[in-house]
Amino acid sequence: MEINYQFLVDTFYLVLAAVPTTLKLTIIPLLLASPFALAIALIRLDQQKGFLKILVSAYVTFVRGTPIVLQILMVYSLLPSFLNLLAKAWSLNINVFDFDPIFYAYIVFTINIIALLSEVLRSALGSLEKGQLEAAECVGLNKIQAYLHILLPQAMVVAMPNICNLTVNLIKGTSLAFLMTVKDMTAVAKISASYGYNYIEAYVDVFVGYIIICSIVQILFHYAEAHIGRYRLSK
Amino acid sequence: MRPFSLGFLMDVFPILLPFLSATLAVVVGTIFFGSVAGALLAWAKAGNHKVLKRVAQGYTYIIRCTPPIVLLFIVFYGLPKFCLEVFDTNINDYDKLFFVIISFTLLFAAPISEVMRSAYEAINKGQYEAAVSIGLSPWQAFFHIVLPQAVVVALPNFGNSVVSLMKDGSLAYTIGYIDLIGKGQLIVSMNYGAYAIETYLALAILYLIMTLGLEKVFLWAERRFSQHKQIA
Repeated sequence: MEINYQFLVDTFYLVLAAVPTTLKLTIIPLLLASPFALAIALIRLDQQKGFLKILVSAYVTFVRGTPIVLQILMVYSLLPSFLNLLAKAWSLNINVFDFDPIFYAYIVFTINIIALLSEVLRSALGSLEKGQLEAAECVGLNKIQAYLHILLPQAMVVAMPNICNLTVNLIKGTSLAFLMTVKDMTAVAKISASYGYNYIEAYVDVFVGYIIICSIVQILFHYAEAHIGRYRLSK
Repeated sequence: MRPFSLGFLMDVFPILLPFLSATLAVVVGTIFFGSVAGALLAWAKAGNHKVLKRVAQGYTYIIRCTPPIVLLFIVFYGLPKFCLEVFDTNINDYDKLFFVIISFTLLFAAPISEVMRSAYEAINKGQYEAAVSIGLSPWQAFFHIVLPQAVVVALPNFGNSVVSLMKDGSLAYTIGYIDLIGKGQLIVSMNYGAYAIETYLALAILYLIMTLGLEKVFLWAERRFSQHKQIA
């Protein structure tokens, strides 16, 4: 099998240059999703039943039950025309079709991550003893203080490994951003491969690139877990 | 923007449904081959052979970091070239299903080997020793005593892996395999992008039914097989 080594090396640098895009596609949705995910987790943990609870449960089920490709196709085919409609209705002078597609990618991945992260936080918060909140309120903290200083740090200890998994899966998921013409690592490789049909070399580059990124992320999470471990309840 | 057409949503189901078998073919084929490969990996990980153990762990680590689509493309473009060079056989015109199942088998084997290994290790060693001491052969002890208990432990995680396999399987359309999503894309482009939302909504409903149904099946199976569960 002939491997074009020159191409292999050249494309690797191109792929490396696209790493920031992949990281942006990972970090921004994670940050955007966190507050919403926490809110959904709290709503679903609440004992009372209500319309809001049914609504968020349906949303989480929908996201978890459908492939992310389908979510991408749905948002990317629907949202631009919808925004265009809004822009026309409010007679704004902007052309939504000129938006950078990465904008839509952020939206899809945020929608996806809100649901998955809320499940992680829900199970982590649910694993805490009820007495923790009661004790915090007894010593005079209000609900927000209790969550911020007592419950969330402990929940994070439980949630960390799952958040690591989630992040790694999101990094892998961003490889689908090429469907929205975002130029992330996979897209760059795909484009440069198509000139000379050097698909194998290009995809091997991407393959190595993802392994490096995911390894770094997992090492970082390992340190984060060790750091946050001091909040672990000693028994 | 044109109003949502409920009629089209209804019409599109009969067109999509015949392609359900293509989607299920990927899932069933991958579960079969992936479980065999996963069992081999789990055996290597739980065993005492140092090199095999390292190889199995390394493989699992690499696959954990690989996006499904990248592996799918590597197999789809790389395997025919590789076979042509090394075995001098032309597999370029093999069915796309062949490449899809190979890619997803490679992907599925890694998480499933972890599920199997942890289930195997969850079963108390004393069970096996007790079985051997009353005169069962090692194989009999494994198949009659350890395996039925390990299956119960493994079922929830196995179910989760199958559900995510089914969702990842939808990527097969990117290499031109016509499954549910592939057919959906064809319908959308045949209508020049019109009726996109109806088509995608129909696909979403089908996938929801499949994933929720699978979860129910695995819950039922878990209860059904719990009779083999070790007491305390």
